[in-house]
Amino acid sequence: MFSKMFKSLNKKNFKRSKKWEEELNKCIRCGYCYELCPLFKSYNWESDTPRGKLLLIYGMITGEIEPTQDIVEKIFQCFYCKNCSDNCSAGVPVTEILSDARADLIELGFDVEGTIVKIDEDLCSACGICLSLCKYEALSIDEKDKDNPKIVVDKIECRGCGLCLSACPSGAITQKEGCVITLPELHEKVKEILSEDEKKLIVFACNWSVFPGMQLSKSPTLIKTPYGVIVSMCSGRVAPELVLNAILEGAWGVMVAGCPPEECDHDGNYKTRRRLVLLKNVLKELNIEPERIRLEWFSTGESAKFSRAIDDFVKDLEKMGPIKKMEEKKLEAKI
Amino acid sequence: MNIDKEKLKKIVGENNFSDNIADLYVYASDASVHYALPTVVVRPKNTEEIQKIMRYANKEKIPVIPRGAGSGTSGHTVPIDGGIILDMKRMNRILEIRPEDMLVKVEPGVVDDDLNRALKPFGLFYPPAPASSRIATIGGEIAANASGVRSVKYGATRDYVYGMKVVLANGDLVNLGSNMRVHSSGYQLERIIVGSEGTLAVVVEATMGIRPLPKYRCLAVANFDKLEDAGNAISDVISSGSNPSMLEIMDKVGIIAVNKAMDLGLSEVGAIILFEADGNVKEAVDFEIEKMEKICKKHNGYEIRKSYDLEERTKLFSGRKKLFAALSRYKEGIICTDLADDMGVPNSKIAETAEKIHEIAKKNNVIMAVYGHCGSGVIHTKIMLDSHKKSQWKDAERVVEELYDYIHSVGGVISAEHGIGLSKAPAWKKARSDMLPMMKKVKQALDPNNILNPHKLMDAPDDWVRATKLRYQVGS
Repeated sequence: MFSKMFKSLNKKNFKRSKKWEEELNKCIRCGYCYELCPLFKSYNWESDTPRGKLLLIYGMITGEIEPTQDIVEKIFQCFYCKNCSDNCSAGVPVTEILSDARADLIELGFDVEGTIVKIDEDLCSACGICLSLCKYEALSIDEKDKDNPKIVVDKIECRGCGLCLSACPSGAITQKEGCVITLPELHEKVKEILSEDEKKLIVFACNWSVFPGMQLSKSPTLIKTPYGVIVSMCSGRVAPELVLNAILEGAWGVMVAGCPPEECDHDGNYKTRRRLVLLKNVLKELNIEPERIRLEWFSTGESAKFSRAIDDFVKDLEKMGPIKKMEEKKLEAKI
Repeated sequence: MNIDKEKLKKIVGENNFSDNIADLYVYASDASVHYALPTVVVRPKNTEEIQKIMRYANKEKIPVIPRGAGSGTSGHTVPIDGGIILDMKRMNRILEIRPEDMLVKVEPGVVDDDLNRALKPFGLFYPPAPASSRIATIGGEIAANASGVRSVKYGATRDYVYGMKVVLANGDLVNLGSNMRVHSSGYQLERIIVGSEGTLAVVVEATMGIRPLPKYRCLAVANFDKLEDAGNAISDVISSGSNPSMLEIMDKVGIIAVNKAMDLGLSEVGAIILFEADGNVKEAVDFEIEKMEKICKKHNGYEIRKSYDLEERTKLFSGRKKLFAALSRYKEGIICTDLADDMGVPNSKIAETAEKIHEIAKKNNVIMAVYGHCGSGVIHTKIMLDSHKKSQWKDAERVVEELYDYIHSVGGVISAEHGIGLSKAPAWKKARSDMLPMMKKVKQALDPNNILNPHKLMDAPDDWVRATKLRYQVGS
């Protein structure tokens, strides 16, 4: 009885998602979508895969399962990189379906964290810098209380790209940890890579341009490379302090790989370009060769060009050698 | 089902345990038509954890279902009685690459393509290559004795299994096989684990053979107006003693589907054949390709395109690589179901079987595509139907039965590389009744409490449609 009541309730409530039922049936669950899913590679649960999320939506709209907070959290975890839909040979529009499911779930009254950004009202001065950065108009100022304006996040529109986060002057914008995309996590990742032998170069790679296919399997001692690649989502979220931190931690050089200017989904690469020019000037001031920071553009699928660029940079860094200042510092620390 | 969840959490850690519906619902299905909820999901990290889980489950008689990528097509990992899903993807280390011995040692969760990426700098590769190699795990490939597009030259997973470590149902750890391509030292027990679909033991480490990457690969495509001609050309290529490294067929249904899904602009002819040769001497590769070209022309093949270039080869093959999912786009209102998906027939029966598939499909109001690695006798199909209509599932039932009867009548097998699982079990049991008692004795000896992936293979229900819930919403 309850189950029947629930089924009809769900069907009524999922009015946006319901229209996708046929598309959801087209998904044959081959799993090709999750090979390139950054969320799955971070958490590794089947329910984090795009096919898993589609299955959960299917279950909810057909009344097989009831939406719970845990299910809803899964649905709100996605960076909209679209590697899944681009790779789906059944052509299922994964992210469109996800957006409609999100709208339905918000309407049902669920509050979620997901991968969407959060504003700390105590720290936020409502300066509005973040507003101009968000291409999806997911941020707005709520001025109902004129003395106390607030930045509001549209949880359906936010793609979790994090551009706002890296530009917020008061550090009021945060995002859920666990996917190695927040600043502290990225700092840690840099340290972890540089602690390995013979690592010289840190590469921050854009998730959208030349997603370097993070491997699921681990072969830690088999193939040693002089570089480590960190998928940092949009190049626009590579904050200057991340690059400087890598240098301080002992990297001989840092590469930021992003989409060519006209191809960035988020317009983040323009910001990166400006930031890196300034950063190079900072390096000059510190008597460190500015060539140790390199910005490269790659279109989707240019993985061969990406590999060549890394190899060329490593060769140049080997000619330059380690950063003297940092070596001296290490020596001092030892003494 | 009464499961001591705290005990399992203690073994694998809180973060690697779930009894949350968000996980249970997703782990309830694979790429098949089946669906059944597990009781819990655990993600062990090492052999010791698996031993502890098995000891506990064996004592309490709780079903345990090992699972890799969940890309199985016949419901192998669908937990028909609930129980514990062992998600093996965290055991994903490549332990050793030994070019001097031409072998690798891997954990079962290693992904096929990742292994090949790691082997490439050594000029080596792991050949079985199922189409799902981008996600398929070595453990899953062993469980299904997977093979793929290059099986015509390189064989199946079983040809590469040298040895393995397995955890038995009672938690004991056993070393099987050797580090060699050959051994004649007692029962080949590693071989019975291959294709056992998780019913005999949990593989925790595998020693697999590897091969040198050929210097040259040339891929060619030939068009045929008639499916029968394409089928005969394939039989002729094989019986003429050619040595293709790939010999694939794709019929008109498949071509239309990939054109719709991927906008490939392929000529919508009766069928195409993709044939490849590889080797270290270019003249030898040219010789093989030219020989196969001549045979194709003899059987009315035309517009033959060929290339050595990797990019061009990838483009020529892209339609075939993604055909399985693309079939969903063949026609509005129908979907692609994983049924009757991988039969094997003798080389002389390729053309006849291809025609028979369409005949049976038409008779029963469904659409089927013919494709697959016909060079090694593998014919893939899918049943495309309107999943909302109850009558279409009746149609599918008849297709499966009639087709499998035909396959057995010509001396073929109903599963060549995907495994029996649930949907193929009734027909397989009917045809292989002489072998079942022996298989049951093996199962009884290794898993007396019947906890490892129960009710699959010879113990699967006789009615596959009602063996579990169907994952689709079926109306009246």
